[in-house]
Amino acid sequence: MPEIRVQNLRKSFGASTVLDGIGFTVRDKEFVTLLGPSGCGKTTTLMSIAGFQTPDEGVIAVGGDVFVDRAAGVDLPAERRDLGIVFQSYAVWPHMTVAQNVAFPLSLRKVDKRTARGRVAEVLELVELGAHADRYPHQLSGGQQQRVALARAIAPSPRVLLLDEPFSNLDAKLRERARDRLKQLQLSLGLTTVFVTHDQDEALAMSDRILVMNGGRILRDGTPEEVYREPGARFVAEFLGQCNFVTGSIETGPGGGAVLRTRDFPDGIAIRADGVSASGAATVAVRPHDIELCGPDGNGAEGTVVESVFLGDHYRYTVAVGGARLEVHAARPVAPGPVRVRIPPHSAVLVD
Amino acid sequence: MTTLELPATVRRPRVPASFGQAAVGALVVGLVVGPFIPLVYSSIRSKALYLPGGTFSLAGYRTLFADPAYWTAVKNTLLFAVSTTTLAVVGGTLHAILCTRTDLPGRRAYGLLLTAPIVVPPLGLVVGWLTIYGQGGYLTQLVSRNLHLPVWNLSSIPGMSLFGAVVTLPIAYLTVRAALSGTDSSLEDAARSAGAGPLRVVGRITLPMLRPAMLNCTVLIFSLCLEILGIPLFLGGPSGIDFYASYLYRSWSNSATPDPPFVSAGAVLLLVVVSLLLFLRSRLSGAEQRFVAVGTRGGGLRRPLELGRWRRPASAAVGAFIGVTSVIPLIGLILMSFVRVLTTLEAPWRLATSDNWRAVATDPALRRAITDSLLIAVGGGAVSVALVAVAALVAHRSRFPLRTVLAPTLMYPRAVPGVILGIGFFWTYLMFTPGSLVRNNLWGEAIALCVRNLTLAYVVIQPSLARLSEELDRAGRAAGAGWWTIARRILLPMLRPALLAAFVLMFITLLGDYDPVVFLQKPGTEVLGVTMLQYWSTGVQGPVAALAVIQVVLTAAVLLIGARALRRASHA
Ligand SMILES: Nc1ncnc2c1ncn2[C@@H]1O[C@H](COP(=O)(O)OP(=O)(O)OP(=O)(O)O)[C@@H](O)[C@H]1O
Ligand SMILES: [Mg+2]
Repeated sequence: MPEIRVQNLRKSFGASTVLDGIGFTVRDKEFVTLLGPSGCGKTTTLMSIAGFQTPDEGVIAVGGDVFVDRAAGVDLPAERRDLGIVFQSYAVWPHMTVAQNVAFPLSLRKVDKRTARGRVAEVLELVELGAHADRYPHQLSGGQQQRVALARAIAPSPRVLLLDEPFSNLDAKLRERARDRLKQLQLSLGLTTVFVTHDQDEALAMSDRILVMNGGRILRDGTPEEVYREPGARFVAEFLGQCNFVTGSIETGPGGGAVLRTRDFPDGIAIRADGVSASGAATVAVRPHDIELCGPDGNGAEGTVVESVFLGDHYRYTVAVGGARLEVHAARPVAPGPVRVRIPPHSAVLVD
Repeated sequence: MTTLELPATVRRPRVPASFGQAAVGALVVGLVVGPFIPLVYSSIRSKALYLPGGTFSLAGYRTLFADPAYWTAVKNTLLFAVSTTTLAVVGGTLHAILCTRTDLPGRRAYGLLLTAPIVVPPLGLVVGWLTIYGQGGYLTQLVSRNLHLPVWNLSSIPGMSLFGAVVTLPIAYLTVRAALSGTDSSLEDAARSAGAGPLRVVGRITLPMLRPAMLNCTVLIFSLCLEILGIPLFLGGPSGIDFYASYLYRSWSNSATPDPPFVSAGAVLLLVVVSLLLFLRSRLSGAEQRFVAVGTRGGGLRRPLELGRWRRPASAAVGAFIGVTSVIPLIGLILMSFVRVLTTLEAPWRLATSDNWRAVATDPALRRAITDSLLIAVGGGAVSVALVAVAALVAHRSRFPLRTVLAPTLMYPRAVPGVILGIGFFWTYLMFTPGSLVRNNLWGEAIALCVRNLTLAYVVIQPSLARLSEELDRAGRAAGAGWWTIARRILLPMLRPALLAAFVLMFITLLGDYDPVVFLQKPGTEVLGVTMLQYWSTGVQGPVAALAVIQVVLTAAVLLIGARALRRASHA
């Protein structure tokens, strides 16, 4: 039952606080992603779990084993944590062949030669490197090296797999394939995984749960859909793809739900949220593809299309509504000039 | 796909890694620091240690400061050290870049030849230069007497600095080259494709990347200059110019009672200066991490920077430099070993003789010098490299609590005047009971020579280690490997080329070094350098030249074999 428990992790380098009370749990066989901008402390968190950074405060436990408990003075050395880890630079040992790299963790355990050989072959097959077992790392492409690192990490069946931006050195096409492959592998092996990235597509596509980090804190914790649809914080909404923000004051609408009143939208914007306290100023977030545009005779707020770009599978419009500019994605072309802008009920969510 | 049924835990050694790390650390610190204790002690005594009735006193320091000759020696040493270091580091870096990063014609041969001044043992090169460029030297005579032109003075401070730079340039060259061959040339390619010309690439990318290596060898060469003994003894003698080390040496040997306290005092002061220098360096070069080229990928073929129309002139200049500084003196040395005397007044073949070589073959002391030195060079070299390699790992890749003292400790022995380290060992062997085990036999000399040169192995190994990304060992720890396993199976194998280079450098140095054993050698325990010094000072020149030629041949052979092995190692 490898469940990762991280509680109240704090870490400072000199005067700068890098981790400011990080806490989360990862359930058995779950794929959890730490998502956040550069420098927000993702690697530091991951390395604290792996044992290469010692937090100033906090508790880290996997299954029944406490890895770190600063209050109790526990700090298990990295080599006793039995984790698989893939580094951003892969860290494939250049003086060993692919097979030797993968066999290394097995050779440290009491695995007999035959079993180890079989296991290496099996794992290499799994990452589609069976044919390259005897090559040296410098004879491999970046994507292949990344798979060697992955194979090496999973060879001894670790309790937990940790990955630090493993795809950041791959080009976009390869990255997509690598992503699918990793996800499949994780599902079929039932690996409890913590994945670090600053790429929201990667996070959305692969994760069971996403933890959005900024400035050493976790701002949002939820499934990809939850995090995307109910970001909760303006930063999270923005980080997970384009977003429009509209500010106004909240009132109780005719149907009993909450409605945002603003000068630009005379009909108000119906807010998808339960138990919103109906008062005061507030900001809502609306995704560009949720906004509907129709001809000047339709209903909705009055606006003007000021720019349009064709992007293959959709059009991107910039629409001026009152003093604000909204970004709108639509599947169908819209003529430049005056339009009506409608924000369907429940596509706007309250943020901050 | 199945999950593998694995034993839950990894086999662990019964003794924690920190014990081994502590043992290695203690050994290194003991060997390096130990000899200085009697030295410092003797500097604050009123009498030499073996004399009865000494008291604690600063009289030694007062005597030293009152001596005007001391201050002259200090001034000379500083002048010499600054000019020599500048020349050597600039020259060494320039040559290293030319020979490894550009399309200079003949760069491979030059690369080998540029190390010649360490192939030629220090005394051999001094003798060679004196026979050619000294006051009575062959070319000096030719220019002044036969052509009636104004002539240079090798015995002036500029003359000695030039020679000093020639002797120390290979250190800069080798350090920088080792760093260059490890850095990813795609960093330079990136700048070139960004539109930078070769000169700009060198100035903006290559040189900044080389900063740790250059800083390392600057400090090393500067410290070497502070302690240099052979140059003032041989070259400075005619003009009466003393440097720090030769001042101490002369004071020691001319004093009525051996080891007067003021010599120890002078030695201690130099230790303090050198230690401050090391401290400064550790401050300056703190951020090794910054120079780690990301990952171990890269690959691709290395394309040299194009020199364009400067190719030929540059190649000719490098060739001329090597010819004047190494080849001609070497020819002089060889000639010297086959003639009675070298002079422009008589053709050399008229003076030919084989007596010098016969002396080497028959004199038991000379023969012992050769075999003893070989023994120390091979055995001592291997043991030192092994020790330094592990110590470097403890210093830079462990969490051993006292690891930070190890790097300066390893830099220390070479920064300390060899003569003074030798005196330290002399007193240590004399004062402490276990010292009697190594007194009067070869072990004592071997230990002194090896400790003295640990630094050289370290400066070769350390930059290579700094370039191995720490994620490589982290990956090992995540796989479950302990510190020793990572050292043995991951880091040391990756360091193989550096270890080999360190051994070659150690071998060559141990074969030629002599300052630390000047006071340790006894009849029956001869080593090459001291024997040559002693014979030369009694006016025997031919056999000394012959011994020097033997050193040259031996070291050249090792260098060739080493270079080949290095090529093979870095291909694998
Ligand atoms: N050894 C260190 N000394 C000082 N500051 C550090 C150190 N390591 C990390 N930091 C700081 O901690 C912060 C978080 O670093 P971390 O590597 O965890 O970021 P990250 O979220 O992984 O970023 P990226 O996406 O760029 O990898 C950064 O601001 C960094 O400057
Ligand atoms: Mg990171």
